[in-house]
Amino acid sequence: MIPFQPRQRRSLVAKIARVIHIMAMCVGMCVVSDVQAQSLSDYQVKAAFLYNFAKFVEWPPEAFSDGGAPFVIGVVGEDPLSGDLERIVGGKTANGRRIIVRRLRGGQELRNCHILFISSSENYRLSQIMNSLQGANTLTVGEADEFTRHGGIINFFEENDKLRFKINVNSAERARLKISSRLLALARVVRD
Amino acid sequence: MGQFCRRYFYDKSGCPDLARVTELRFGSRMLIRISNCILLLVIMTAVACAQTRPSELTELNPEELMNVEVTSASKKEERLLQTSAAIHVITQEDIRRSGATSIPELLRMVPGMSVSHINANVWAASSRGFNGRFANKMLVMIDGRSVYNSITSGVFWESQDTMLEDIERVEVIRGPGATVWGANAVNGVINIITKKPQDTQGGVVTTGGGTEEKGFGSARYGGKIGKNAAYRFYTKYFNRGNFVDASGRKSVDQWDALRGGFRVDWDASERDLLTVQGDIYRGDMGRTAPIAFLSPPANGTVDVRTNQNGGNVLGRWNHFFSKKSDISLQIYYDRWKLDDPIITEGLDTFDLDFNHHLAVGKRNDVVWGLSYRYTTDFYRNSFTIAFQPTRRPLHLFTAFGQDEITLVKSRLKLTVGSKFEHNGFTGFEIQPSLRLSWTPARRQAVWAAFSRAVRTPARNDTDIRINVSAFTGQGGLPIVVALLGNPKFKSEELFANEIGYRLQANSRFTLDLATFYNVYQDLRTVEPGNPFFETSPQPSHLAIPLLIDNKMRGEVYGAEVAANWRVTPFWKLNSSYSLLRTQFHLDPSSQSTEDEATEGNSPRHQFQLRSNLTFAHNLELDTAMYYVGSLPNLQVPSYTRVDTRFGWRIGERLDLSVVGQNLLDNRHAEFGGQFQRIYSTEVKRSVYGKITWRFNRGQ
Repeated sequence: MIPFQPRQRRSLVAKIARVIHIMAMCVGMCVVSDVQAQSLSDYQVKAAFLYNFAKFVEWPPEAFSDGGAPFVIGVVGEDPLSGDLERIVGGKTANGRRIIVRRLRGGQELRNCHILFISSSENYRLSQIMNSLQGANTLTVGEADEFTRHGGIINFFEENDKLRFKINVNSAERARLKISSRLLALARVVRD
Repeated sequence: MGQFCRRYFYDKSGCPDLARVTELRFGSRMLIRISNCILLLVIMTAVACAQTRPSELTELNPEELMNVEVTSASKKEERLLQTSAAIHVITQEDIRRSGATSIPELLRMVPGMSVSHINANVWAASSRGFNGRFANKMLVMIDGRSVYNSITSGVFWESQDTMLEDIERVEVIRGPGATVWGANAVNGVINIITKKPQDTQGGVVTTGGGTEEKGFGSARYGGKIGKNAAYRFYTKYFNRGNFVDASGRKSVDQWDALRGGFRVDWDASERDLLTVQGDIYRGDMGRTAPIAFLSPPANGTVDVRTNQNGGNVLGRWNHFFSKKSDISLQIYYDRWKLDDPIITEGLDTFDLDFNHHLAVGKRNDVVWGLSYRYTTDFYRNSFTIAFQPTRRPLHLFTAFGQDEITLVKSRLKLTVGSKFEHNGFTGFEIQPSLRLSWTPARRQAVWAAFSRAVRTPARNDTDIRINVSAFTGQGGLPIVVALLGNPKFKSEELFANEIGYRLQANSRFTLDLATFYNVYQDLRTVEPGNPFFETSPQPSHLAIPLLIDNKMRGEVYGAEVAANWRVTPFWKLNSSYSLLRTQFHLDPSSQSTEDEATEGNSPRHQFQLRSNLTFAHNLELDTAMYYVGSLPNLQVPSYTRVDTRFGWRIGERLDLSVVGQNLLDNRHAEFGGQFQRIYSTEVKRSVYGKITWRFNRGQ
């Protein structure tokens, strides 16, 4: 019943099977989307943004244990992204690293994430989570109104039914993350 | 509140089915292998599917993502949190996992709703008391079309059905909704909302059968016309078995029904949405009815087969001037006919409805509307039941306005409004309401509401005659006891006071508490009148009249509390408890003997617990337990009902399920006595299996 576990290294056969599976999933999604509503939930779009953040942010080398280490997207709290995130980043790579998704409760393992999505269910312990991430090279992404003021880096908000995000550039610097100018151009930049 | 529904209803964007998306998550490796095989087949057969779809989100760069319109789950939650009415929404996922095969059966899961099978094909369904075959204080709409029958003041549930797979949601408001929805939305409003055809593309075929469900099948196909229009059509058939009487003998209430329908939605422009939809149906139902004979005077029962058929067609135009202003114009025609040896009755309804939603400044959200309804009915009378005149056209004019005023941003909201209508029986009726919603914290809200609502007279209050019984009096004189309509029957009136509390502790736990104190006036009574002689029909006889009147008042109060808990992503628990107290008081001038006792027609306590479990390999186990308190006036003891469903989703295309209903006992009564010309029967334990197969279009 444990839904998601970090995948271990695979044999070549498993890799091929996986590629086929992903292709099939893409076609499947294409077919399925025929049946589904055309409008998207905010969480589907948030999941797609997370994938883009992985592509347009640069992590320092020390954020990865070795050259083959995967890129970890962590999700903490109630999981409105469930399914969507896996489907969107499943089998994708960011800067040559395989992306994996982990569902987390808290504690030390949060620090091992490259991107950490903190769902609004965790608002009550936001400062606690932020404290435990001090000095980590983690791109924190949240939904709470005061997220950037709590030390969070990227904060989603909605404007005219479209998804927008704020970036706290000071927090990003503290985490030694380089955010591409392309992303910054789209964001509302805030400072401490 | 009603505004909430209205706005929901006209929501152009529609709701993505998150539940369905969730089903697509990765499971074990085994599952991956199975899905690989299935999906490889899909690849081979579906290479044609080359268009890019919104779900190919990873293809979008951040600039493009910024332009995607989203429907926010949190906004919806917020709107639900701040709704100042006792609302419950049944989702498609709830419907699928309930194992229910008809709309009234779905309503059992609504907190505080009392749903009883009277016989195999007749239901009683109401909230907050006054339950019966025709629960005359519940307004029911399907896609904006009223299915509240204006002859009998109630809903013929046996004729209300659709492809359950195509229902998007059922919104149930307990308590008055008359300010927006109009007369007869006294104790509640039920809105059944089907999906847009854009969301029902491709095909679905279901079939199955079992012990009570002798056999059923349905099919739907949806496609596109050009780029901006989509359609679907469906057909559904079922054949259901009989129940048993109190001594366990087979009753005659087996039935079958066939229906079909269509819906077309055309996004004529960015700002215009046109909808045309319609249904046609027929059903054949059995019942045991009481009957009186004049020569010789005698009473008996008769087993009859009733044929009900009808159809409807509806057109609606939504125009969006801007985000802040939109209108809808709706027109429909509905025909319903009931035909059996005791009576033939029919009703034609023509309805025109205009609504305008307008945001004024930042604080006011206004809805106003006008409507006109023309109804005409026809009867073939019998000695047992007769309507005079046999045809009576009626006109109903209504206007309403409601303003939702934000007093303190995202904290305090006031909703005021009123319905004004003119009907052919009582003239003008005013149904105002005042609602207040206070959100002291982000996830908690308190609301209060004060409203007036009326149940307007119907033909069976004013123009009916039922010869209830006949017997031979002294000297061989035939005597007939006759229920007589009262042309001066007034509207039944409600003043409702409601207070509620909602807590969305987190996305896993929600709590919803609603309390109410309802004061009713001019409730319907049956008064003995002065006997008179009649020469027609022959032989001459003495008639002892029972006159319909408004000589009772009452208080109904209680509370409904519902808690939903997502224990894990794979286990959901829903529970609710409701308390209902009813006190009726006859006027001093009343001589009614039975009406006060109808206090005991609704259960005082109800409790339910529903569990939805999802295992690996998409196996599902759903169980629902319902405790329903006794109905003392109908001599129905309390009962506990357990329904369970075991389902297996095999890939995206095939679902198998086995459903067991009323598992705890061989049979039990859910309603009692002889009610509205029907002898009630008892529900049996039953099991059925179902296969659902989906396919995509154009491959």
